[in-house]
Amino acid sequence: MSAYSSVLTLDPVLPTQAATPTPRPRRRLWSALGRALLAWPFPLAVLLLWQLAATYEWVPSQILPSPATVAGTFADLWRSGELQDNTAISLWRVLWGFSAGATLGFVLGVAMGLSPLTKDYLYPTFKTFAQVPALGWLPLLMMLVGIDEALKIILIAKASLVPIALNTYKGLQNVPTTQIELARVYRFSRWQLLRHVVLPSAFPPIWNGVRYGLTHAWLALVGVELLASSEGLGFLIVYGRQLYQLDVVLAAVVVVGAIGWALDRVLAVIEKRLLRWRVEGF
Amino acid sequence: MPHAATLEIRGLSKQYQVKGDTLPVLDNVSLSIKPGEFVSIVGASGCGKSTLLRLVIGLEDDYQGDILLDGHRIVGTSLERGIMFQEHRLFPWLTVEQNVGLGLLNADLGEARKRDAVREHIALVGLEGFERAYPYQLSGGMSQRVAIARALVNRPEVLLLDEPFGALDALTRAYLQQELQRIWAQEGITMILVTHDVEEAVYLGDRVVVMQPRPGRIKRIVDVPLPRPRDRGDYAFAAIKEDVLSEFSDRPRDELIAEPRERNAVEWQFSW
Repeated sequence: MSAYSSVLTLDPVLPTQAATPTPRPRRRLWSALGRALLAWPFPLAVLLLWQLAATYEWVPSQILPSPATVAGTFADLWRSGELQDNTAISLWRVLWGFSAGATLGFVLGVAMGLSPLTKDYLYPTFKTFAQVPALGWLPLLMMLVGIDEALKIILIAKASLVPIALNTYKGLQNVPTTQIELARVYRFSRWQLLRHVVLPSAFPPIWNGVRYGLTHAWLALVGVELLASSEGLGFLIVYGRQLYQLDVVLAAVVVVGAIGWALDRVLAVIEKRLLRWRVEGF
Repeated sequence: MPHAATLEIRGLSKQYQVKGDTLPVLDNVSLSIKPGEFVSIVGASGCGKSTLLRLVIGLEDDYQGDILLDGHRIVGTSLERGIMFQEHRLFPWLTVEQNVGLGLLNADLGEARKRDAVREHIALVGLEGFERAYPYQLSGGMSQRVAIARALVNRPEVLLLDEPFGALDALTRAYLQQELQRIWAQEGITMILVTHDVEEAVYLGDRVVVMQPRPGRIKRIVDVPLPRPRDRGDYAFAAIKEDVLSEFSDRPRDELIAEPRERNAVEWQFSW
């Protein structure tokens, strides 16, 4: 912040241009590109190793098909529309499960964060409930709701609810007293306090919870599709294994990974936009 | 020009409960402050000077005695009483103008009047051009100016300053003291400054209240009958500063003087 160092002298003249610390945009673009490039060597090395393993048949090709075979299978699945259909089904399930889980989680987190009484009632039970992984509930839920869509949506909702509720609760707990005192000095009503101080202050941890929640939702989805489904990307993985078509399995795995990554990226971009007031870490 | 208030503190005492024990923080403090007066309160840490401000602003209650603003007992916080803390306490997610504007959230003004008030007060502290900057883009001194603007934007009758420049470097501090003096003269409001910096207290105050700790009480009130702007190098200034400082150079309290005593090996232990 060398541009403002003149403030630190007795000279009463202040710099008058707007305060936006801009490292030259061009250089920033290059360094961003440079960092993005660094993500590539490792997966490329893995790909190379995979190719070598396939070429020299270190592993039988039925077990580890070559990258080219997997790419071919991917193209076939795409042409037949199987891949898109299954992806659409999976995304639809995540959308509903995550929406339900995020809403409930947020409400629960806010209730526990704002009311110590609610917290005393619910927190221990909630923590215990959170310790059982989504799939631990599967057998019981199968008996209760069958193996249809409801089962998947409930489990995905549970998986996203836990981190969102927990982070919302912690975020609200950690609003600094100094900020709350300030709100009292300016006589904020309860609603103003919530709207102008508590929620913005707790927003970064809440958003973190949302990101975890979506990741967990995606993981739970694939898990539940593996175990109890006849459609979706997870099903494609089991189906490929049952037919001993490891190329189908690998193609589906790549798609699962790529979509999971993309979902998180979307949230990361939104976060950057919403939290532009934050100092960049380093 | 806003109305400046008379602040009357009578027989004010306050205790904290610490692990079942009663710890007196303020003991029978009485102080009468005239409208438009600048009063500095100095004292070592633990003398209750910050507690005194927290009581006057209304962040704490449960005290004995009276705190009267223009003859009325204070109840809770009020927009008539502004405060500035040692930390700027700006909201990091709001820009400079939004931070100042938040002070007006409950003010009884129209939107246009509020916008004008925000603009005027940003100008008052000399931060035109920084309206859209976020706190992380400001230096410590600039952040404190924003805090001054926010504290004044409601046109309070009395402004309380709780070691407002304590965390700044010496040069910035000297400059902001000068600025604060200008603003005080321009606005004509009552100000009460709490500080542990004797020079700051003498430079700014019409009177300097010296407090002593355990329990916090007023030891002496020193008048500063010097014309403004004051010159820190001036002889009269230095004399008053010396006078105030002499209040702090007592011989150490008895309990702080350790009795020399015999040590033997049995007593020896690690300090951790």
